[in-house]
Amino acid sequence: MSAAGPIVAAPVAISDWGFLFYRIRKSPLTVLGILMILTVLVFVAFAPWLATHDPNAISLRARLAPPSGAHWFGTDEVGRDLYSRVVFGGRLSVGVGFFVVVIAGGVGAVVGCLSGILGGRVDTVLMRIMDVVLSVPSLVVTMALAAALGPSLFNAMLAMAIVRIPFYVRLARGQALVIREMPYVKGAYIFGASNWQVLRWHVARNAMPPLIVQATLDLGGAILMASALSFIGLGAQQPTAEWGAMVSTGRNFILDQWWYSAFPGFAILFTATGFNLLGDGVRDLLDPRQKGR
Amino acid sequence: MFIATGPSNRKFQTIAFAAALATTLAAVLAGPAVADSAKDVLTIGKAADPQTLDPDITVDNNDWTVTYYAYQRLVHYKTINGKGSTEVEPELADSWSVSADGLTWDFKLKAGNKFDDGSSLDAAAVKYSFDRLFKLKQGPSEALPENTTVTVIGPMEVRFQLPSPYAPFLYALANNGCGIVNPKVEEKAKDGDMAKAWLAANTAGSGPYKLVSWDKGQSLVLEPNANYAGEKPAFSKVRVKIVGEAAARRLQLENGDLDIAEDLPVDQVEAIKKKPGIRVEEYPSLLVTYLYLNNSKPPLDKPEVRRAISWAIDYQGIVDGIFDGQAKQMRGPIPDGMWGQDPNVMQYTQDLAKAKAELAKSGVTAPKLSFLYSERDPNWEPIGLAVQANLAALGIEVKLEKLANAAYRERLGKGDFEIGVGKWSPDFADPYMFMNYWFDSNRKGLSGDRAFYVNPKVDELVRKAASATDQAERVKLYKEAQAIVVDEAPYVYLVQKNSQIALRDSVAGFVFNPMLEQIYNIGAMSKTK
Amino acid sequence: MPFVNIIRKRLIFLVLVVFGVSLITFAISHIIPGDPARLVAGDRASDEIVTSIRQQMGLDRPLPEQYWRYLTGILRGDLGASLRTNRPVIEDLVAFFPASLELALVALLIATLMGAPLGVLSAVYRDRPIDHVVRTLAVIGISTPAFWLGLILIVTFYGALGVLPGGGRIDPNLAIPSRVTGFYLVDSLLAGDLPAFGSTLRHLVLPAFTLGFIHLGVVARQIRSAMLDELQQDYVRTARANGIAKWRVICGHALPNALIPSITVLGLALGDLLYGAVLTETVFAWPGMGAYVVNSIQSLDFPAVMGFSVVVSFAYVLVNLAVDLIYMAIDPRITGVN
Repeated sequence: MSAAGPIVAAPVAISDWGFLFYRIRKSPLTVLGILMILTVLVFVAFAPWLATHDPNAISLRARLAPPSGAHWFGTDEVGRDLYSRVVFGGRLSVGVGFFVVVIAGGVGAVVGCLSGILGGRVDTVLMRIMDVVLSVPSLVVTMALAAALGPSLFNAMLAMAIVRIPFYVRLARGQALVIREMPYVKGAYIFGASNWQVLRWHVARNAMPPLIVQATLDLGGAILMASALSFIGLGAQQPTAEWGAMVSTGRNFILDQWWYSAFPGFAILFTATGFNLLGDGVRDLLDPRQKGR
Repeated sequence: MFIATGPSNRKFQTIAFAAALATTLAAVLAGPAVADSAKDVLTIGKAADPQTLDPDITVDNNDWTVTYYAYQRLVHYKTINGKGSTEVEPELADSWSVSADGLTWDFKLKAGNKFDDGSSLDAAAVKYSFDRLFKLKQGPSEALPENTTVTVIGPMEVRFQLPSPYAPFLYALANNGCGIVNPKVEEKAKDGDMAKAWLAANTAGSGPYKLVSWDKGQSLVLEPNANYAGEKPAFSKVRVKIVGEAAARRLQLENGDLDIAEDLPVDQVEAIKKKPGIRVEEYPSLLVTYLYLNNSKPPLDKPEVRRAISWAIDYQGIVDGIFDGQAKQMRGPIPDGMWGQDPNVMQYTQDLAKAKAELAKSGVTAPKLSFLYSERDPNWEPIGLAVQANLAALGIEVKLEKLANAAYRERLGKGDFEIGVGKWSPDFADPYMFMNYWFDSNRKGLSGDRAFYVNPKVDELVRKAASATDQAERVKLYKEAQAIVVDEAPYVYLVQKNSQIALRDSVAGFVFNPMLEQIYNIGAMSKTK
Repeated sequence: MPFVNIIRKRLIFLVLVVFGVSLITFAISHIIPGDPARLVAGDRASDEIVTSIRQQMGLDRPLPEQYWRYLTGILRGDLGASLRTNRPVIEDLVAFFPASLELALVALLIATLMGAPLGVLSAVYRDRPIDHVVRTLAVIGISTPAFWLGLILIVTFYGALGVLPGGGRIDPNLAIPSRVTGFYLVDSLLAGDLPAFGSTLRHLVLPAFTLGFIHLGVVARQIRSAMLDELQQDYVRTARANGIAKWRVICGHALPNALIPSITVLGLALGDLLYGAVLTETVFAWPGMGAYVVNSIQSLDFPAVMGFSVVVSFAYVLVNLAVDLIYMAIDPRITGVN
């Protein structure tokens, strides 16, 4: 449970492992989500061993072969093995998802906590900026940024991270505002703690759980968005295997070679569903009142 | 409705109403899925909306589908035995004469041609059109020499004065940019823009059809020009429908929603050949796909490296695999079927030993090159992948860069690339379209010399060939130049693709002309059902 | 007067948004390496022509001046000219906007009609199999790549079954209903043109379902959680204790109350649907703003992209305002959210 472990462990007292396990078991959908993610992670970790071919080896005369014993998912328009490309594509998609939420969450947390603690004019200005960024059509700005910076997976990730920052800023700021008013934090101020120290000792630690939940919820969305960008040609570049790009190329062949688009598309659906189920479950665990929203 | 006559039971009314609603809805939804459009309506399915319909600005065949037969030109391509030829014959012109030095061309116009608003097409209109072309100077004007002047020497007589002899002159007059525009468009001009804004979205010509509506992103509708002097066309309406997805275009053709589907990938074409009611016409075309090797960038400035690349490419694999056999490898820069091509010029084949030897000679080791392409042509990506694999065998690492089409052209124009892929089709039937555009160092950049190739000897040969009036002389000069540019390999001459046109069986009278890719002779076509 | 306050606050925010969004998109459009003048002039135009076009477009002026011009243009309703189509961006957007809005509204309708009952079922049978099924369905909805679902629907319902059209807004053999609202559904009814209405409806089914399915989950979740709150209220228990039928209580009392907090979510969903239409429109050749902006991005037509962003953010803020006002009208306890 390399991915799921720390996330769910954070907010629960360490001694409550048994309870935690019990809660997860009570929620079959969360278990399902975890199983799905584990499956994906196994493929991600062992891609070189699970793939049957070199994902980039072309064979011009063996193009667009239907699924068979030699090529489980068939081949693409330059004869590459689609199964191996779907397997390797997982590394990219999952990696992108994590990168995006870590960057957006990290930057958002710092800015949000600062904004909340400093308050006053800095806070007002920062929040207005975030409001504006939130009103911007994010997909379009991401697309424009990716087109402007030149299409590459890194630029796409950066653009996706930037448009996601405001969500985390708002969340972290809200937490910071609450924590700032806690008696023990007020106490710390009285004893001469600086803003920085309060930030480090109290806010950073206590603001984390909701941010982690948000990040978990966001993973599925980030994976979907990355595939959408690649679908319109602004994400991963050839010959890198990427699911969205594969669906995009495959749509030219969808009438006669349905498998080309179908398998990578299903892989996106499977992975995003897994992460979204987990996100739901984590939210329920952390805030039972919110169960299932 | 029947509800009123029924018993006034509320529950029953509700049920009856629901039933009525359901039947209406079902009736409304169950429209016919397969509908052959009417016999006098032709529907053409296009991948992308035209950009501008101004004949003096557009250089894109995708726009010419609409503009070409909305306008007429002094000359047009001959149709011989139902086949399009690259010879020209008079259209608006009645006759012409040329001075001995080849600089002064006098044209007499046929009487009775009228624009779609009924005003007559005279010498002043011809002068207006060419003046407008040269003033706008945005691309189509390049087909004619700079500083060409047009004067009216009679009500129906014009004179073209060329600054230097220009052999392809007559052929160039048949190209889309030389369409005659109604001078009355000046009434639509805004801020002295020569009606650029208006003509971008309207037509004002004398051809068999005129544009009547354009729903952006959906469709354009052409209707017959009532004042057209020629024979009345068969279609009362020609609709150009924009269908972005190739798969959707194919399905609409199969279902009879389209009569002609453009831009189908070779695999789709193979698949629909077997479908009833559809035929695919295949013609050798002059549309070539080739690689630009940026001669101004090391290590591609070394001819040995360029030759090594030319020897390493799997041409036959590209023809068989990527083009499904619907193409053949080029022999030199001029495609087969264009006069002036040297059938004996050397042709590169995949030969790794030779490639390695050339690379060793160059002294360059393990170079890294970028390969630039865009989404514009679905074949470019597989070609890039093939080139990447082929060059990897030489120890050359190729990085693929896919850009938005506009960004790709920008980078090409600035020479900010190492290898680029592109396609080229001639606008008029003269080897000038290949030899002078591709190799004259004055055209460095997007306008033609996209490899940034400079060779004074070649410059001299192609320029001489452009101004020589004797065709045998010109062929000789072009052959000499071909030998050099094959040896020095500024480009990789990949393939010449067949044109495949997919149409409904009911469409009759279509004549393919290799000069007129994506242009359908709608004035003379008809449908049998 | 909370109404007035809210409106004033929102209007100030609106100005801020237009300013901010235009600044962001302006900045992006000036990072790009491309030369807009060259794009307008075409590939083969000479350098002098490019230079003169650059001057005409004011691209030789200092950046702050260019931005100031753009901003003052917006106030006059002038969003500049598209580089690709040579037409004023505002004209293009006006032509394309109703198509997108019509699609988004029908999608929202589908999402609500399917999502609300599922949400109710899910809440009433909480933690039972049906709850799990609904929640799984909701999660699958938000996890589905819209572009992929669209392709599969086209292949199935147009390609294989041939029962629904594969793209476009209306059968091209039919005349487009004369424009009153720009919504073909409304315009065709106004014109009494039933075939056009039917054709429009048929063309809407697949794209609206694709878009609606993605948001079905959002709606179902929202209704479920609001219903759970309501079902725990005393009045529900009292009503049940007084012997009022279970579903009567649920549909007659709990659901209307649960719908109130859901309005915000639906309003926000409409905003998302408008953006979300970008990919769906591309797949279904739907002649809306989404397809327009994708084409514009691919040809680096930044005036068009900027115009789109400004208009959509504007619409987004207005929808939010409308949601707030409706909310207050329905539920007087609330004196302004956000």
